[in-house]
Parts: sequence; C-alpha cells; structure tokens
Amino acid sequence: MKKTSIILFLIFTLAINLSSQQREIEFEEYDLENGLHVILHQDDSTPIVAVSVFYHVGSKNEQADRTGFAHFFEHLMFEGTKNIPTGEYHKIVSSNGGANNATTDFDRTYYYEILPSNQLALGLWLESERMLHLKIDSTGVETQRKVVKEERKQRLDNRPYGSLLEETFKRAYLKHPYNWTPIGSTQYIDMATIDEFNDFYKHFYVPNNAVLTISGDIDIDEAKELIEQYFADIPKGTEEIKYPNITEPAKTEEVRDTVYDNVQLPMVLMSYPIPSKTNSESYAIDMLTTLLSGGQSARIYKQLVDKEQKAVFAGSVPLALEDSGQFIVYAISNMGVDGMDLEKSLQAEIDKVKSELIPDREFQKLQNQIESRITNSNSTVAGLAGALPSYYVFYGGTDLINQELEKYLSVTREDIKNVANKYLESNGRVVLYYLPKSEEKL
Amino acid sequence: MKKIMFILFLVIAFSITAQVDRSKMPDAGPAPEINIGDYESFELDNGLKVFVVENNKLPRVVFSLILHREPIMENENIGYISIAGQLLRTGTTTRPKDQLDEEVDYIGGTLSTSSTSVYAYSLKKHSEKILELMADVVLNPAFNKDELDKLKKQTISGIKAGEDEPGAIAANVRKALLYGKDHPYGEIQTVETTESVSLDMCKDYYNTYFHPNIAYMAVVGDITKDEAEELVTKYFSKWEKKDVPKPEYKEVKKPLVRKVAMVDRDNSVQSTISITYPIDLKVYTDEAIKARVMNYLLGGGASGELFQVLREEKGYTYGAYSSTNADRLIGNFTASCDARNEVTDSAVAAFIDVMTKFKSEKVSEEKLQAAKNYLTGSFSRSLESPQTVANFALNIARYNLPKDYYKTYLQKLNAVTADEVQGLAKKYVKPDKAHVLVVGKAGEVAGSLKRFSTSGKVDYYDIYGNKYDPSVSKIPAGVTVETVTDNYINAIGGKENIEKVKDKVSVIKGAVQGMEMKITISQKAPNKLFQELDAGMMKQSTIFDGTKGKQIAMGKEVQLEGNDLLETKLEATMNLFLDYKKHGITAELVGMDKVNGNDAYKVVLTLPNNNTWTQLYDVNSRLLVKQLSTKQAPQGTFTVAIEFDDYREVEGVKYPYKFSQTVGPQSMEMEVESIVVNSGLDDSMFEVK
Repeated sequence: MKKTSIILFLIFTLAINLSSQQREIEFEEYDLENGLHVILHQDDSTPIVAVSVFYHVGSKNEQADRTGFAHFFEHLMFEGTKNIPTGEYHKIVSSNGGANNATTDFDRTYYYEILPSNQLALGLWLESERMLHLKIDSTGVETQRKVVKEERKQRLDNRPYGSLLEETFKRAYLKHPYNWTPIGSTQYIDMATIDEFNDFYKHFYVPNNAVLTISGDIDIDEAKELIEQYFADIPKGTEEIKYPNITEPAKTEEVRDTVYDNVQLPMVLMSYPIPSKTNSESYAIDMLTTLLSGGQSARIYKQLVDKEQKAVFAGSVPLALEDSGQFIVYAISNMGVDGMDLEKSLQAEIDKVKSELIPDREFQKLQNQIESRITNSNSTVAGLAGALPSYYVFYGGTDLINQELEKYLSVTREDIKNVANKYLESNGRVVLYYLPKSEEKL
Repeated sequence: MKKIMFILFLVIAFSITAQVDRSKMPDAGPAPEINIGDYESFELDNGLKVFVVENNKLPRVVFSLILHREPIMENENIGYISIAGQLLRTGTTTRPKDQLDEEVDYIGGTLSTSSTSVYAYSLKKHSEKILELMADVVLNPAFNKDELDKLKKQTISGIKAGEDEPGAIAANVRKALLYGKDHPYGEIQTVETTESVSLDMCKDYYNTYFHPNIAYMAVVGDITKDEAEELVTKYFSKWEKKDVPKPEYKEVKKPLVRKVAMVDRDNSVQSTISITYPIDLKVYTDEAIKARVMNYLLGGGASGELFQVLREEKGYTYGAYSSTNADRLIGNFTASCDARNEVTDSAVAAFIDVMTKFKSEKVSEEKLQAAKNYLTGSFSRSLESPQTVANFALNIARYNLPKDYYKTYLQKLNAVTADEVQGLAKKYVKPDKAHVLVVGKAGEVAGSLKRFSTSGKVDYYDIYGNKYDPSVSKIPAGVTVETVTDNYINAIGGKENIEKVKDKVSVIKGAVQGMEMKITISQKAPNKLFQELDAGMMKQSTIFDGTKGKQIAMGKEVQLEGNDLLETKLEATMNLFLDYKKHGITAELVGMDKVNGNDAYKVVLTLPNNNTWTQLYDVNSRLLVKQLSTKQAPQGTFTVAIEFDDYREVEGVKYPYKFSQTVGPQSMEMEVESIVVNSGLDDSMFEVK
C-alpha cells in the first residue's frame, strides 16, 4: 500500500513541478488496547533513538482560575514515580547518555528523551512509569511552584516584550481559554493544590489521551515487544476527556491598546484571527507569511527594514492552534521612529497584498522557499518524534506529514490574495503598541 | 493493510506475555558503535582549504567558509569589524542588495556573512547558483555608503534595545570585568563607537583579512568531492592571497580576591547573577576534554550540583549552570542564574558553597561514570548533523590537531579519573578569587551582597562596564529639564486641562506643636493671590493683586517689597511651570537625588533675583515630590522643605493632598480638606489698598 501511494504521489507532483518532490517519511502506527496510539519511525544513520509522549492537554484545558496549571503539572512529571525515586528522573536520563525535556503549549504537553540506541527500554520504562505511577508530594509541589514562578519572571516579567503573547491573547480571546497563555499567572500558580494535580493526572494523563512515538535506530519488532511490556498494562482512563467546546465570537470592532514596558524601542503588533491549523486555508495563510516575511527580499522586511529604515525588525507569524489562531504582524521601530509611522507602513503592505495579485516570479519564489523549507524540516530523529504525533492528533492522520509539499504547491496566487482579504480584516483585529515606560502618561 | 497489521501484532503480542519487572531499571543493550563520518579535502592554488562531507540523506548542500585570524583590538571604533562582515551581504559590484536578496530567496536559499565567516545553503539543484552568489559576495563586495549607514542605524537601535535586557547587560559587563577594556575580548560596543565607524575602516578590514590563505571551507551534503572541487575551483580560484598580520595582546589580570560588581537595573524583579573569572585553559587540549567532565559535574546541566541545589533543593531559580570555557588566548569560568530579588544573596551564597564543596570533595565513581555517559551520548547525538563532521575536519586543520583527535575523543573522555577531576576543580574552580556580578535592583539587593566582597565593598558599574560612584548619581541619557517638566505636566493632567483652571480655592489643615491651623489659599489667573492662615489666636494673611502685595499679621499691615514682592508674585502665578522663561526663571536639571528612597530628578529654578528653588520630581510617577527654598529672616537664612504626596484629581488636574513642611528642626504635616476650581472668584477679594 505504501508503495502505491508513493507512485501516485510522484505522478501527482510531477504534473505540477517537474523537480519538486518531498522525501517520504516512513512510519508504522497502531493502537494498544488501552487506547495508546503508537508511531514508529526507523532511521539507522546515527545510533540514537528518540522516545516521546505527546499528551493531548494544554493550557486551553485549564480553568480560568487555575491558569498555568498544565505547565506546572509538566514540572511535576519530572519529580518521581513508584519505582523512580524523587529527583532521579533527569539524572537517570543523563547518566545513561541521554537528553530530555518537555514543553507545554496551548493544546498539548510534550515529553521526550533522546538516548543511545541501546537504551530504548530505558526510555520506555521512564515514560511508562510516569504515565502509570506518578507520585505527587507536597515537597515537590512547593519547590516546583517556586521554580515555575521564577520561570515566569525570567521569560516574561524581566524581559523586554516578554509579555507580548500574553497581552495579545488576553485581548484576542474573551470567551475561549486561549485568553491566557501556558505560563499562566502567579496568582493562580500559587493556588494550585495537590488534589487538583491528582485529578488532572487521572483525567488527562491516560493512554487514550496520549501518543507514544519512537524515532531512530530501532528494530521495529523489538520495539513493539518492549512497548507491549511497558505500556499494555496501563489502564485506560475511566473519565470522558474534556476539551473546551467554545467558539470565540468574531470581533466587530478593532481592539487597540498600549502596553508600557521596560523597552527602549516601540513595537507595533497587529493580531488577526485565523482558523484552526487544520483548516485547508492554512497552507495559503502560511505562504502569505512567507510572502510578507520569509527572507530578506520578503515584502515587510524589504519595505520597513531595508527601504524605509523605520524598523530594526519586522515580520509576521501565523500562530495556528487547534481551535483557532492568530496571524501576528509586527515591527520594532528604529531609534526615533514613531509607532504610528510604523503601523502605517505595515498597513500599506497588508493593503497591497489584499488588492494586488502576486507577480509570477515572486510566486515562484514562494514555492521554491516552501520546497526548501520542507526538505530541511524533519531532518533529525528528535524533530520527527515531535512532528509525527502532532500530525496524528491535530490533523487526524500521521501520513499528512508526507503531503505537505503537495498541499502547498496546490495553493494559487488567487488563494493567497483571498485569505489576505478574508482574514487580514481591520475590524476583527487587536492592535497593540509596546512603548517605553518613560512615555507613560500617568 | 492496517487491519492485517494489527491482527498480526496481536498474535505476536500474545506469544510474549512475560511480565516486565517495573521496579528494576532496564539494562542497556550492547553499546552501539559510534562512527565519525569520513571527509575528503583539497586545496586551491591560492591556499583555500576545502573539506567535503558527502551525505545524501537530503537533497541539500551547505557551503561554509571560515577565516582563521587572531582577535583584533578596535579601540575607539568598536563594532567596525562586525559591521564590515555584515556589509558583505549588502550588495556586490554587479548585484545591488535588492537583487542579491531576491536571487537568494528565489532559489529558497540562505546566504549570511560575518566578519570571519560566510554561510550558504540551498537545495542540491540550486547549489551552483548559491555558490556563485557566495563567491560574488566574498570577492566583489560593493561597500556602499548607504548600506553602511543603514547598518549603523540598525546596530544602534539594537544597542538601545539591549539596554533593557538584563542578559545583554550582564554579557557586556562580564567582558569588561574578565578581560579589561584594553583586551580584544573586553571591548564593548556603544552608540558612540558605532557612530564612528567609516566605510574606509570596513574596506581596510576586508582588504587586510579576507584572503584565501587563512580561509577554510566546508562543503556538506548531497555532493561528491569531485563535484565540489569543480564548483569551488570555478568560483573561488580568482580570490587573491596575501599575508595577514598577527597582533600581540596584553596579559589579562585575574582577580586575587572576591569582588562584588553591581549593575543597578531599577525595574528588575529578578537578579541576573554571574560568578566569573579568567582561566588559562587552551582550547582543543587533553586538559580541555577533562575540564568538560569536571564542568558537567559542577554545573553542566540539570544533573549538575548547581542546578540540583539552587533549583531542585532551594527553588531559587529556573536554572543554574556553569561553563568552563577553553580558548586560544584566554578562557573563562562562569557560573550563572537568574534569581528573584528576595533570594539574590542566598543564591550567591549557594553558588559559593557548592563551588567550595565541589573542590574539597572527590566525586563518586558513580557520578563520574554518569558524567562520562552523558558526554559520550551528547557527542554521538551531535554526529547526527553532517555539519559536525565538517567542523571536526576544520578544527583539525585550523588548530593543527592530531589527525585522530576526534576519533580518540571518547577514549580520552572515558579515561578521566576522579582524582583528575578534583585536581582540575582545585585549579579552575575559584569561588574566592572571582567577580560576583549582579544585574538587578540595587536598592533591594546591593546591601546584602557586601558580605561576599573581600573588601566589604560593592562596586557599581553602568551597563557598559564603566565603574562609577553611586553616591554621585547620573542623569540617564535623553532626560532633560524639558522632558522632566513635560512629563510632570502630563502626569498632572496635561496642558489643556491645566489651562482650563481659571481660579482655585484650597483649604488646608495641619498642626504644629499641638496647635491646629487652617490655611485657605485663593488664586486667580494669571497671578492674584489671597492666603489666609488661621491658627486660633494667630491670624495672618497675604494678598497680591498682580502687581502689589501686602501682608497682614496681628493687626499690622506691611507692604511687600523687593525680594518678598518678587517671590510672592511668583508664588501667586498659576502654573509657573508652563513657561518659566516668561517669568524670567531659568530651569536646570542638575542631577539625581532620592526622596524617601525613590529616585528623583533634581531641577533648580533660578529666579530673577538669583535666589533658587530646588524641585525634585519622582522618576516613576513624574510628580513634583519635594521643593526646597531659602528664606531670609531677621534670624538669618533658613531652608524650607516641602514634600508633596497623595495627588488627587480635581476636574482633570492632579494636586497634592498631603504636604509636610520642614523648617529647620520643625516639621508640620498638612492635609488638603478641599480644592474647588473655577468658582468664579471676584477680583475684589484680591484688592490691595
């Protein structure tokens, strides 16, 4: 079956562009009886293996009065289990030649180990232990409470523009839990209790809400056997897993605000609502971003940084999340340049892409840039351990990882103009100015 | 097919039901062989050495060029070298920047330059094109004046942005502390040094150093040696060779005691702490490999002693680490973390404790083995990137390393003993001969840091590593008397609202030495005043009609004259601050001061009679918080100080509702009972007969 799809795929892409073809990433996937989804990718070019567990829970699953909870919980996952003494998790990984970490975002929490290939069983033991046997005690909770608060200070409070995402999302979302960002607020980090953590673990950290991915120098059969040994006896969750079912109402009027921060250079940010990352228009939206800010010839960069010299940096980024997203266009001004002036130039570029079709050569450039990017992506086993489950959970099919280039190449110039008109709409947006505190009028 | 697979899988699964013992950590399988990929090399006639690592996993090619030269002092033009490097990417003699940008992006490629390197990437099918562009940039840079000005402007903006970034500040000041400003590693770029950069300096740098005889190129990816040789020869053989200078340097001074350096960042909620000092550790030596093991155990990651104590045990920080950096000239040791203000001193104490203990205790065999395993794992993980193999080849050539330096790396790493680690710790870990640098809110943390300084003193540095005396506060750049005044005007409600106030009656109550008193001040624009003080037995009033004034006390009337008349007129004038000049006053921002522990700008107003009023404006609230004036009295001159507090808004303008006045040893607290504006005061009440 796989072979057929490769051939079909080749024919399809040949018809569009003689020389563009995406490297096929091969994988196997199946479910355990307890609902754990397993994805295996074999690559023996380096004797290492990445083991990851992707839990479908993020900050959007939090209560409004417990923001930062999912991320706080992620820290507790490193504390200890029935069979792993407290504080040993990191040490076991590193003393066996591995590296590990975890990240929490709006929609998911992701844990991984990268180990020498002879330590696959260790990785599976570690991840299965904390899925089955996590121990949460007050000493761990209190230490991590302090650590998480320091993390917040380091990332947001003590850093120029550090609160950018938080300030944007709290204005862009009034109903949906994207209203807050994964780091959460200190006030609620202080309120989280052990009982709440235990409930959260029981509800979300169950095999039927997780994807186990192994990528690297493995023997597939041996890996399957080990997975069975370590994960099959983990009971399926008994509760129906709750995901927010809230649609953020469309804004009818622009939200405009100023944040006074410890910054020297003003920043202007415009954030437009876009659909979920799985929406078919996402590819066109992504190409729109490349048009505006991919490379030094990209429109916003060329105009604001190079030509007008109004900005030290200017760009755009589509933050497409599971339920919906934000398309953020922003610029940081050069010394002495007024924010309003910067906004005018950004707006001019947005207006241009809405009213004029992209010239042929520029469109070809976009396609070449996308091809180059896709060829370069997923080039490491650790990268794949993160990408594969994301396709499975969010896009409803792991194999979509192999259809990216094809999807991008089917986007037309008209599509890009259409999404620009549909989504870069001033009435629905949030406009934020970051200004130096010294300019604040008290 | 998926279904069949699943059934098959179930069958297999059934056959291996043996339960695994979870209480036991699984054993490792046989260790995999770690192979460092091969490379090939060739040299062009002009001396350019090229190393090729063929890797066909993805259809892409990377060309990276490195210049091997000694560090250079830039003196008063710090920044010109890095700008020269960036200028290469801004156009060639035949390709203006717009065209170059477009050609690179058109093939989905990347091309970047610095003062000692050029990097180019593209898909294999565009590899000749990207190499052509790379060669054009290296051989024929345009050195355009407009592009230089653009880069300078951006660099200066970047420097300004960094002024608020605690990490950037710490990196700057660390350089100055470690190497001194007369060493190439200790030079700090500022707005001024950047402004001085000229096109000639950049051209001179390029002409002196951009030559193939000190250049090394790595070609990595889907390309054979023959293909690479053909392409590189085609595009780079015209590059001309030339001898390049080798400078000498001053010796770096190491701290002989522990010193504490404070950079005051008033809005910090966390301190950025570094413990740092220079070390003599040469790069790519066997000792450098051993030092890596030593450093990993102390603070190389989450298992390091520093992380375990400062984060996992104490919760002071999100992460604490150390680095023991080897270098071709002079290396450094740096341990660092970010910790909240309240535990800054505890975190410094913990650093010193952990470092001291680390020197005195021999590491256990178990921990040593764990460290070796980690570093072995990290070495083999790095081999996943074909670029690593290319870097190995380049380093062997650049530093004249034995050909098997990397092939025997793991062997050397795994031979390190616990005694050797302790020996290195004694040599390189020096908590008592170090700079303790703290970037943070001095008002909250500096006091508690004195105890770590051998001399008991905390040295203050500005964000560019210049030492200063904090008792002589500096006015921040960009702040002038005009900005202070304008900010004050905006802070109390803005010019428009202030000018709407045509008259005002304030009733103020206070007590002095147990005596209650009430002051009523009526003012009418532009400068009429009627002030009445009622302290029961004692009554006193001052009247000013715009030109003449008088004072009535205990039934006696005195016409105001001379200095008294002038100063009463100024006191009667509403909103003097809107136009000092008009009233013959010169205002000057003379420095910084503190009012109740908060920073304030000190403004001196010189009146037409040469008397002065000193005003203090709070840095954060921008409000007038204190005023000092000198009064002549029969007993001599004395200073009247009034502090203002509790500003409240009345019809769009803020007024202080609390005053405390100090005259010599006497002080008086006063509170505003009411302020009424625009009640239409009649001129008759200000008449002076």
